[in-house]
Amino acid sequence: MALSFQEKSLWLILVSLVVCFGSYFAMVFPPDATYIRPEQVVLFAVAVVCLVVLQIVGHAVIAILDRRTTTDERDQLIALKGSRNSGLVLATGVACSLWLAVITSGNFLFTHVLLAFWVLAEVVGIATQLYLHRRGA
Amino acid sequence: MAVPAGRITNTIRALRFARNEMTQQELADEIGVTRQTVNAIEGNKYSPSLEVAFRIARVFGVPLEQVFRYGPG
Repeated sequence: MALSFQEKSLWLILVSLVVCFGSYFAMVFPPDATYIRPEQVVLFAVAVVCLVVLQIVGHAVIAILDRRTTTDERDQLIALKGSRNSGLVLATGVACSLWLAVITSGNFLFTHVLLAFWVLAEVVGIATQLYLHRRGA
Repeated sequence: MAVPAGRITNTIRALRFARNEMTQQELADEIGVTRQTVNAIEGNKYSPSLEVAFRIARVFGVPLEQVFRYGPG
């Protein structure tokens, strides 16, 4: 099964997202306070930096191994379909977070549910694209 | 009134083989798309834009109707 540059890139983004934010969520949950503590902000910043570094290094390696890095109209169409699904999940997440902000005290739960839905939206968008790339559409 | 769904088929595979067994990658490079896209077009899973369709016809030196056909679904 030969993967195109786009597919390799999507797998890299998916794995790095799951690893970085999976680790972050594993460390901050279950919460022991209703407000975000400064060390959790630092942990979040570390997760973002790790994500950026992993993706830059990973994409550089993929680009070196696979010289055909061009994208075409089908890649763009698949990306649009992925964004549509991703947007639906994110909109649901924003609604859930707003509802939580109203019924709970503190900012921990509201912020982390919003962040979790953002990660989930990205995962759904990437999974959609990977599925469409494999199906051929 | 609903328009009945049609199906676009193509003869790219036959045209490639008639042209010195041209590979999907070679065709992809000539028309500026990825090999996976050529594979999807050949398998009738993806309908290309008019521009790409015309580029394919130009590579093989045949009219567009000889590459793509539109029939009942």
